[in-house]
Amino acid sequence: MISLAQRDIAHSLGKFLTTSAGIGMLLGVVLIMIGVYRGLVDDANILLKDTQADLWIVQQDTLGPFAESSRLHEDMKYQMKAFEGVKDVSAVTFQNLQLYRNNQPIRVFAMGYDVGSFYTPHLLIEGRPILANHFEMIVDKKTGFKLHDEILIGRDIFNVVGITKDAVSSSGDLMVYFSLPDAQKLQFLSSNEQIRNDRARGIKTTDTTTVNAIIVTVNKGTNTQTIAQEIERWKHVKVLTQEEQSSILTKNLIERSSKQIGMFTVILLLVASVIISLIIYTMTMGKLKEIAILKLIGASNGVIIKMIVQQSILLGILSFIAGNLFSHSLVDLFPKRTILMSSDALSLLVIVIVVSILGSLFGVRSALKIDPASAIGG
Amino acid sequence: MQPSHQSVIKVEQLSKTYGKGENAVMAIKACSFEIFKGETVALLGPSGSGKTTLITMIGCITEPTQGKLYLDGELIFDQHWRISDTRKLRRQKIGFIFQSHNLIPFLNVEENITLVPLMNKTNPKEATLKAKELLDYLGVGNKLTAMPSQLSGGQSQRVAIARSLANNPKIILADEPTAALDGERALSVMQLLKKLATEQDVAILVVTHDERMIPLFDRIIRVNDGFVTEDIQQMS
Repeated sequence: MISLAQRDIAHSLGKFLTTSAGIGMLLGVVLIMIGVYRGLVDDANILLKDTQADLWIVQQDTLGPFAESSRLHEDMKYQMKAFEGVKDVSAVTFQNLQLYRNNQPIRVFAMGYDVGSFYTPHLLIEGRPILANHFEMIVDKKTGFKLHDEILIGRDIFNVVGITKDAVSSSGDLMVYFSLPDAQKLQFLSSNEQIRNDRARGIKTTDTTTVNAIIVTVNKGTNTQTIAQEIERWKHVKVLTQEEQSSILTKNLIERSSKQIGMFTVILLLVASVIISLIIYTMTMGKLKEIAILKLIGASNGVIIKMIVQQSILLGILSFIAGNLFSHSLVDLFPKRTILMSSDALSLLVIVIVVSILGSLFGVRSALKIDPASAIGG
Repeated sequence: MQPSHQSVIKVEQLSKTYGKGENAVMAIKACSFEIFKGETVALLGPSGSGKTTLITMIGCITEPTQGKLYLDGELIFDQHWRISDTRKLRRQKIGFIFQSHNLIPFLNVEENITLVPLMNKTNPKEATLKAKELLDYLGVGNKLTAMPSQLSGGQSQRVAIARSLANNPKIILADEPTAALDGERALSVMQLLKKLATEQDVAILVVTHDERMIPLFDRIIRVNDGFVTEDIQQMS
């Protein structure tokens, strides 16, 4: 049997491909939006995963440095190390910084860590980890800085010794890394004028031995919950497991943003569905005369339904392919991470096919209603 | 060859009313006639006289309101359709020719002709062979792979005739088949239909306004205001 759908498409191939490309762009935007959402969720956990910590020791009654202000004495890390089951510790600091490259501001999120501890940025792709306690830093590739660049930050000049890839904070800012003393100095050391002013007031403000959190790894087979409870009981701090910290990041911090993007994606998907349905309906309406002739010469409803549904599905599949090409060609242009996942694309394909079939039903309904007698006469 | 006396179309007191109650319009009023194998019959009448309604009822497209309809000796309608699938009947027994050729624009000539036989589960090779034979017979054998948009008006109408014959129909129903053609081509198409009727033993019922064609028909049935007003046998 002749495939009427194929012949009709071949007859107006240019029109069909242009329509597919148009819908494809819309589907591409849907895929990018899903990718932005994925990127947001993934970004929130990048830093956390990179630390490979089991426990986060933060200021009592706070949710830790990603959600609230958290300050601890640095020497508490030695006390943590004394707990049974604790394998290693590293004091860490976090702060937002604004760097300048070619006079252009770059907003970054700076992490300070104990050089020589278990933690080192795992997303390093070029150069080396920080080895000296002063004037070395690691930057993310997207900052635009290169290895051995010298950057003036605060009172000191830092040498770029390493480059990371895709290292971002939970808010999507690019990461830079310092040794703990340098990071503490950047965050906690006041200006000379401030120090003089404070001295006159009898306040000592040159102490920079403060950290935002202490990250801890535990020995294999040790129950992290038990250790967390022990530390909380004796040290008047808040202890968060990696899962709790992740939950704070994804639920408390980016929930609204992700819902916003999710909502926008759903609306976009609905709009795409309506447009696909309308295009399929219009395509069918444009063939009513041919459908009337087909009915008149004896074509069964099955033949007509098959023609419309096959075309709709093919339009959906071609649009989906065009959408994928479109989204993949644009994804790297986005300033924040956009993750295009095969599973999302597959889900979209299923949705597109379902929408195409449902969209074609309106056309099928009209096609089945058309009177074959309308083919008779001029 | 003279028409045989084997009835192919038989209408008995066939009526069609559109609408209901006060708005009811009786388009066909108790028409009765019979058309035989190999016969070419012209259905004449002014606009609005009910010709198209009559032809669509005979083609099992429009459901009559009353009366009986027999096609190829089989009772098709008597108060209601007596067969379950009127489209199957159309694609097996009836060929249609329209005023404008009404070829499917996205199928080439061969596909337009083989479509109905293939829907009837005819072997594709046989269907193609038959299409070639018909096109050769109709003088457009070189247009097998052409698209309808590449054909002239006369060629299109010949292809449409080939399509109507592809399923070896018993009946051909033609609605103003020469209206879109100039005088010479119109005459040529009518002569072709006449030849087909005699050679292929097909009953041909043609709705026409073209008085010049009348001498070519075996019979003239005139319809006026829904009634058959005249049924004249012509001498060949």
